[in-house]
Order: sequence, then C-alpha cells, then structure tokens
Amino acid sequence: MRPKHVLVDLKGQARSFFRIKSNIFWVFAFPLLLIVIFGAIFSNMGSEMVTLNVQDLDEGPGSQQLLAAINGTGMVKIRFISPLADLEQHIKDNSLAHVMVVPANYSANLASNITAPVELRLDETVSTSGTVFNAVNGVVNAVNLQMAGGEQRVTIEVGSIVQKRFTFLDFFVPGIIGLTVMTTCVFNVQGTISRFRANGIFRKLATTPMTPFEWLLSRILWHLFISFLTLAVIMGFGVLLYGMNMSVNLPVVLMIVAGSAMFSALGMIVARFVKNEETASMAANAITFPMMFLSGTFFQLEMMPSYLQQVAAVLPLTYMSQGLRDAMVYDNLAGAYFNLAVVAAIAVVFVIAAVLITKWEEG
Amino acid sequence: METVIEVRNLVKRYGDLMAVNGIDLDVQAGEVYSILGPNGAGKTTSVEIMECLRRKTSGEVRVLGHDIERGQKEIKKRIGVLPQSFNAFDYLTVKENIEYFGGLFDKRIPTDELIDAVQLQDKRDVWFINLSGGLKQRVGVAIAMVNDPDLVFLDEPTTGLDPKARREVWEVIRNLKSRNKTVILTTHYMEEAEVLSDHVAIMDEGRFIAMGTTRQIIDQHGSGSTCIVKGANDAAVAALRSAGMICEANDGDLLVRIEDKGSLPKIVGFLSSPEVTYDEVLIKGSSLEDVFLKLTGRKLAEAEQ
Repeated sequence: MRPKHVLVDLKGQARSFFRIKSNIFWVFAFPLLLIVIFGAIFSNMGSEMVTLNVQDLDEGPGSQQLLAAINGTGMVKIRFISPLADLEQHIKDNSLAHVMVVPANYSANLASNITAPVELRLDETVSTSGTVFNAVNGVVNAVNLQMAGGEQRVTIEVGSIVQKRFTFLDFFVPGIIGLTVMTTCVFNVQGTISRFRANGIFRKLATTPMTPFEWLLSRILWHLFISFLTLAVIMGFGVLLYGMNMSVNLPVVLMIVAGSAMFSALGMIVARFVKNEETASMAANAITFPMMFLSGTFFQLEMMPSYLQQVAAVLPLTYMSQGLRDAMVYDNLAGAYFNLAVVAAIAVVFVIAAVLITKWEEG
Repeated sequence: METVIEVRNLVKRYGDLMAVNGIDLDVQAGEVYSILGPNGAGKTTSVEIMECLRRKTSGEVRVLGHDIERGQKEIKKRIGVLPQSFNAFDYLTVKENIEYFGGLFDKRIPTDELIDAVQLQDKRDVWFINLSGGLKQRVGVAIAMVNDPDLVFLDEPTTGLDPKARREVWEVIRNLKSRNKTVILTTHYMEEAEVLSDHVAIMDEGRFIAMGTTRQIIDQHGSGSTCIVKGANDAAVAALRSAGMICEANDGDLLVRIEDKGSLPKIVGFLSSPEVTYDEVLIKGSSLEDVFLKLTGRKLAEAEQ
C-alpha cells in the first residue's frame, strides 16, 4: 500500500466533489431541509400508543388494578422493570423516555385511606410524553372518583428524566446525521463505482500502479471527511438557528468513523452486484429507503408495531442513529458504546467484503 | 533490435466463445504496430491481455521482458494505455487530470510538456466534461504518456471522431513515433493503419489472417492494380472482354484488373477506339480493404455487422 496513491486520489476528489452542484445539495442542503420540515411536523405530535416503563415496588392488588386500568386505555402499553433494578442506571442504559414508579406501600396506603402518590418520570422533550401523562392522569382521576368520590387519594408526582434541557430537534438531529452519512456514503460510492466502471475509468486506473485497495481506502477516507463536514454543518445550523444543545464526544466521533466506513463499504458491495449505473441507483434506493423510515430517524421506534421494531433491529442505521442519540443527547455512554460496537463490527465485515469483491480487471 | 512484445499461441475463451484463437505476435522497439480488424475480431481482448487488464486462457505473453502475470507491477510502470472509449474525471481540468495520473507513477513527464505535446495549451484549465471527442482523445494520449512509457497502447483512438479530429490524433501518434516510443494501435480503419504503421496484423474471428508491413501484405494478398473506367459504353466492355481482360461492372463503373506492366497500354489502346466512349479513367492500387475482402470474402463494414 502506497499512501502517495491514496493522497493523489483524495486530492482529485477534493477538487471535483464541490464542482458538482448536486453533491452540495444532497450532502448539506437536503439534511437541513429535512430538519426544518420534519422538525416542524413532529415537534407537536403526541397521540400514539407508546410504551410506559413501570417499576412496581408494591406488587399489591392496588397497583395491579391501577396498572391494568392504564393498560386498558389503549393509549400506552406497559413494560415492567424489575423491582430489584437500579432505576437510574436502567433509565440511562436503555435511554427510556417514560417511566412510572409505584411505591412499595401503595396498596397499603390506599387501604388505609392515606394519600398514595405514584411517580411519573417523563422526558418532556419527547413528543409522546404528553400521551403518557394524559393516559396515566385519566386513569388516576377515574380511580379517585371511584374510590373517594373525586378526592385526591392517588396523586401523580411528575419528574423529569432528562437532566439537561433539550428540544425535540436535539433528539431528531442525530437521526438526520446518521441518515445523511448513510445516503452520502452509499449513493456516492455506488454511483462513482458504477460510473467509473461504465465509462472506462476503472480500466484506465487498472493500467496504473494504483491498487483497488488504495482506491477504496481513499474513497472511505473522503466520505469520512464529508461525514464530519456534514456533522459540523448540521450542528452549526441547529445551534445558530434553533439554539440546540448537543455534545460531540469520543463515541460520536468514533460512530461517524465506523458509520462512514460501514456505509461506504455497503455502497461498494451494492455496486459490485449490479450491471449498470441505473440499476445500481435503484438497488441503493431499495436498501436505504427502508432504513430511512424504519431505523428511528423520523419516528421513534417504540411508536412502530412490534414486527417493524424487529425489522429495525437488523438495520445498521438503527444502531448508528441510536448510538448518536445516546452519545449526543442522553449522555448514555454504555448505550453509545454498545451501538458503536455493533456498527464497528458490521463495518469490519462490510469493508473486508468490499475489498475482496471490488475488482478493476475483467475476466 | 529489442523485442518489446512476444506473444505465443495466445487463447482467450469466454465460455464457448473463442475471442482470441491462438495468435502469435512479435513487436520490436520503436515501431508503430497496428492490429486491424472489424469490431468483435478480438483486437481489444488481445491488447487488454497485454495491458494486464484481462487474464489469458492459455499461451505465453511477455511484455518488456516480463511475463504478464508475474511481472504486472513492473509492466504497469513502463506502459502507457489509452483504453477504448477513454474517459477521465469529468470535473477535473485537463491539467488536473494529467497531474492525477502522473501522481500515480514515480517517473513522470512534466504536465506542461505533455500539454504542449498534444497541443492543448488553450484548454489546460477546461473541465474534461466540456471537451469535444477529439480533444478528450488528445488528453487520453497525454495521460498515456505521463510516465514516459517505453510502450504505448492506443485502443481505437479515433473511433467516433470526425475526420478533422481523427487527423489531429494521427499527428499525435506520429509525434509519439518521433520520440521513439513503441506504439500498439488497434483500429478498424484501414486507412489509419496504412498511414501510421510500420507493421500491420489483420485480425478476424480471433485469428491473425495476415501480418507484415502494409506493402508486404498488399503484395502478398492484394489483387494488383485496377483500372476504373467511369461511364463506359457497351462497346468498351465488349472490346476489353474480347481481348481477354478481366472486367467487372460495379455501380456503372467498369473495373479492369491490371495483370502486369503490359496490361495498361493495352487497356489505353482499346479505350482509344472510336466506338468506345467513357467519362473518366482512374488507376487504383490494392489496399488493405481489398486484402481483407480477398481473405475473408467480406468487406470490413460487412464484417462489423
């Protein structure tokens, strides 16, 4: 491997990339438009069936009745957290947005006609928090009406999960960054390979001392640079126009590196198995479109039916977006590194496959 | 004289298709060697094997003293290639494209010198995408020369160009020859091969059907010279045929084979008879096109179809 060859190709890409106007649109303008449009659409939504995570420390007849009633609203579904779990750590590790805690003496207090508070901890910047509060509040009011003629026997103590103050866009933007890295890398790489194969540039390069590995490495490095540029532009846009508050830390940097490599390699793999530029573009669309909509970029995963959540679990973008959110928004380093490990592992497999199957010479 | 290309019994198969069927070739240093034939004859496949772009099925190929499979690295440093349907990077200028490819080699000719050699001084800062076909080919030749190669492959460098652009490329090829470069030129234009080459190999259906200098091939396989009588009347045809001349009517012209030195005065004598009328008389020598027709029974254009 000769670094000189990689540098020559990087220089060539740097010179030509920004001369193509469509590159500037797709890499910079498109994600900003998405932020403006989808940010406006989704920032006030909140009537979907969402998951409420419940730690029932009481486990008595009173709490079971309350939880069954909440479940029966059809607005939320309950997922139980073990009473033995460290709740703070569990919230952080799983990036939970809605949590309810039923205290240990809840049923006893009700039986003794003493006020029985339940703790509802919500991430108020997530659009579905309103739905959760309405569901729980509605049930609590009904219980109070039934048990004490409307007297406040059961009360709700609302707390916040998020330490910092974030807006909806703060949560939306990491997904857009992941999406842009994916589309930029997959489409540019597959487009370049298909075009170079069709117009004979590969045939020309194959007669030079440059190797396919050097060329592929240069392409991955270039898209890594573009991905960081995208990150900077999107964050700069968000901070200046929306006053967003985000952290860029080591896991974010590593996730961009691993994600760029993973999606660049995916573009190479797509280009290898299709005959021409048009088909390559269709194949890239077929791969990226499901990821765009099913990986939690525009919609939170828990809003989707469970079978779609299972699909999302096998999509690489899901881990990249979630990892970026964990690192940039939730300060959930355990979650960020777990997602990073998944993306890095996929990246290694994809890059090895891409290097093995990308050839310049023909049969 | 140094032999820069040695090919022995080269075969290339694609499944049942025999693209190259056991060819032998020797190319000496400093010559322009043309491989001539219709599309699909096997020219490009043969040279792409020599350029280390395709793998051979069998046979031996040595380029610049190296076996093409074991010595690829060394060969690539010393060859220059203008591939068929050449393209460079659309959004790099002429100068930037030449610099890109030059950067991939240790030995290189200065960019400005190459731009001068292909006479693209006024296009040096123009994007490749904005050049005409002929100018693109000249950039391709400059890039093929960027590492000061000992051997240059030009694969159909003038296909698709208009006559003016074609002649511009010819000038560039002559320039290469004047610099003592060995040039392998594939073409399906007979005239191009005749004008530019020291040696020619005519290829058809994966085989060389004739090889040598243009003169040798024409002398060996040609049909001699022909007298073309335009607008000849029936009396002219009758007179020539009665004298045992070999005549053939073709689109209103009368083609009379000139068998030997004595034939021409005889033909002129018959044409001088008062009953014979005609519009014009031309003398035409045999060409490589005639050789191809004779050896394959087809015209080159028909073979391409």
